Amino acid sequence: MAEIRFDKICKSFGNVKVIENLDLTIQDGSFTVLVGASGCGKTTLLRIIAGIGPQSCGRLFIGGTDVTALPAGKRNIALVFQNYAIYPTMSTRGNIDFGLKNNKVPRAERDRLVSQVAETVGLTPYLDRKPNELSGGQRQRIALARALVKTPDVFLLDEPLSNLDAKLRVSMRSELIELHHKLKTTFVYVTHDQSEAMAMADTIILMDKGRIMQMAPPEVIYLEPENAFTAQFIGTPPMNILKLGGDGRSFGFRPEKGILSHERREGCAYCVPGRISTREMMGSETIYKVAVNSGVGDTGSVMIKSQDYGFRIDDRIWITVEDEFLYFFDRDGIRLRPGDRREKAALFAQVEKEAAHG
Amino acid sequence: MENQSKTPVSADMIKRYTRIRKARLAVDFVLKLGMIFVFLFPFYWMIASAFKTTYELNQYPPTMWPHRFTLDGFRSVFSYFNLWPYIRNTIVISLSVLVLQMMTMIPAAYAFAKMKFRGKALLFTLVLVAQMVPTQLTFIPIYIMFSKAKMIKTLWPQILPFGASAYGVFLLRQSFMQVSDELIESAQLDNASLWQIMYRVMLPMAKATLVTVLLLCFINHWNGYFWPLVMCNTEDVKPISLVIARLKQVEEGVDWAAVMAGNLILTLPTAAMFLLFSKKIIRSLAYKGMK
Repeated sequence: MAEIRFDKICKSFGNVKVIENLDLTIQDGSFTVLVGASGCGKTTLLRIIAGIGPQSCGRLFIGGTDVTALPAGKRNIALVFQNYAIYPTMSTRGNIDFGLKNNKVPRAERDRLVSQVAETVGLTPYLDRKPNELSGGQRQRIALARALVKTPDVFLLDEPLSNLDAKLRVSMRSELIELHHKLKTTFVYVTHDQSEAMAMADTIILMDKGRIMQMAPPEVIYLEPENAFTAQFIGTPPMNILKLGGDGRSFGFRPEKGILSHERREGCAYCVPGRISTREMMGSETIYKVAVNSGVGDTGSVMIKSQDYGFRIDDRIWITVEDEFLYFFDRDGIRLRPGDRREKAALFAQVEKEAAHG
Repeated sequence: MENQSKTPVSADMIKRYTRIRKARLAVDFVLKLGMIFVFLFPFYWMIASAFKTTYELNQYPPTMWPHRFTLDGFRSVFSYFNLWPYIRNTIVISLSVLVLQMMTMIPAAYAFAKMKFRGKALLFTLVLVAQMVPTQLTFIPIYIMFSKAKMIKTLWPQILPFGASAYGVFLLRQSFMQVSDELIESAQLDNASLWQIMYRVMLPMAKATLVTVLLLCFINHWNGYFWPLVMCNTEDVKPISLVIARLKQVEEGVDWAAVMAGNLILTLPTAAMFLLFSKKIIRSLAYKGMK
C-alpha cells in the first residue's frame, strides 16, 4: 500500500512561489508520469516526495502515513536520477550495497540481495568494476539496481532515459514497463517528453507553471483534453488550434483527423483550401505542413498526418475535418463542451464562417 | 581543399623548419636539465657529503663522490646527541597535528562547500583572514597563553595552535564543491548519515586533495624550526629539527659530515613520503589547474 497524497502542498524558492496549494493523489501501484516543459514544477514535485527538496507548507502522505517530517532515508522510497548519481569511487557492488549497509541489513542477506538484483538487471559480470569502466547504459542499470535492491514502496524516476542514445532508450522503456508490471509498486516518472509519457504511463499528470493542467490516462488525455494547453502539448505533432471568431475562442483538430483531397468535399463544417509546404515521409504515415489562409493564428499553417504519401510540396489541396473530431475552447483555453443542439449548431456555423474566409 | 595559388612547400623550407624544431627541442632539454640540477644538486651534495670522511670533506678541489664510504658522520651525530627522544617528539607532534587537522578540516570543508546556513560567507572569510595574520604577530600572545595555562613544558604548544588549517579547509572545500549535489541526495536516500556522507562518499572523491594537504602539513611540522625555537624551553619537548640545527654549534668546530648526516636523517621521512604520494599530489594540483 503506497498511495501518495499531497495535502495543500506549496513550495517556494526564496520569494518565488513555484507550487501553490496543491492537492493530488497518486494511486497505489500506478505508473504515473509527470510531464511538462522544463520549469513546470514536475521535478520539484518528485523531490518533495523523495524528501530531498521538502515542501514549504502542506503535508505529504505515503501509504497513509504522514511523512512530512521524515528524512529522505527513512521514507522507503528510491530515486533514479537523470545523471544516475552513482558513487564513482565505489564498485558496482558497493553502489548497490551502500543503502543496505546503511540500513544494517546482515551481510549474508545483503550478498544474496545484491546478486539477485544484479542478475535481474544484467550486471552480474560487472559487480566488481568501477563505474568509470562501464558504459552509459550499464551505469543506468547500476542506478536501477540500487533502487531495486531496497524494495521500496515507491519508485521515483527523474528523466532516467534522457542520457541514453535513442535505441537504448526505447529498449529501456519497455524494460521499465515490464519491471513495473512485475513489481506492482507505485512508479512516479518525470519526463519532458510527451511521447515517453504516452508510451509508459497508466496515468499522466500534465503540468504547467506549477499547476496540474490535466491528470488522466493517456487515451483520455489524448482524446478528451480539458484545455488547449493539454491539446497542444500531447501528440506528435500536437493538435492544430485555430481562432474562432474575434472573441478569443478557438477550435482544433488532431493532425490525423484532417483529410487531404484534391477536390472540395461537402458535408463538413471545416473544409478549407491550402498548399502543401513541407512533407515528412515517416514510413507508415506522412506528415504534411499545409499553408492555409483562414482562422490560423500566427503560423498560417496546420499539420496533417496522412496514410497517403502521394501529395507533393506545392500541391494545391483541400483539408476536411469531420464535425465530430472538432474540439472547442473558450477564451481561457478551457474546453467547451456544447450541451444542447442549438449551442452546437452555433459553434459549427462559426467554423463554417471561418472556413469560408479562406 | 588545396589552394593552387599558395606557394608549394619546398625542400628548403622543410629543412629549415626541421632545424628550428631540433633547436627548440635542444634548448628545451637543456633548460629542463638546468632546472633539475638547481633543485637536485643540494640533495645530491648532502647525500654525498654525509658519507665522506672529515678529511675528504675538507679536501680541495672537492670530490663529487666519496672515495671511501664511511658512516662516521652518522656515528658522530648520535655521539653528540641522543636523537631518539627528539625523533619521538617530532613524530608525536606531526601525527597529532595531522589527526587534529583531519578532525577539524573535513567537517568544516563539507559545511562550507555543501551546507546552507546563515553567515556562511562571513565565517568563511573569517577563516581565510585568520590565516593571513602573520605568525610574527601571534607567537608572543600564544606563548603567554600557554605559559599561563602551565602547558609550556609539554608538547601542546607545538600541537594545538595547528589544530585547524585554513589552507586545508579551503583546498578541501574546493574539491568538495565539485561533487554534485545529487550524489549527496542519493546518499541521503540510501539512508546514509551525515558522517557516512562525508567519509564514505565525499572523502574518497577528494582523496588526492586530502593527501596533498596532509602531506604538506606533515612536511611543515616535521621541518618546523621557528615555532619550536620559540615554544621550547626545556630539552625534553624539543623536536629533531632544533637539534640538527645545533650540530653546527658543537664545540669541536663544524663537523660537516655530521651536519650532512643529520640533515639526511631529518629529510629522509619527508622525501620518502613525497615520493610515495607524488602522483596523487600532482593529480590534485593538475585537476585544480584545469578547472
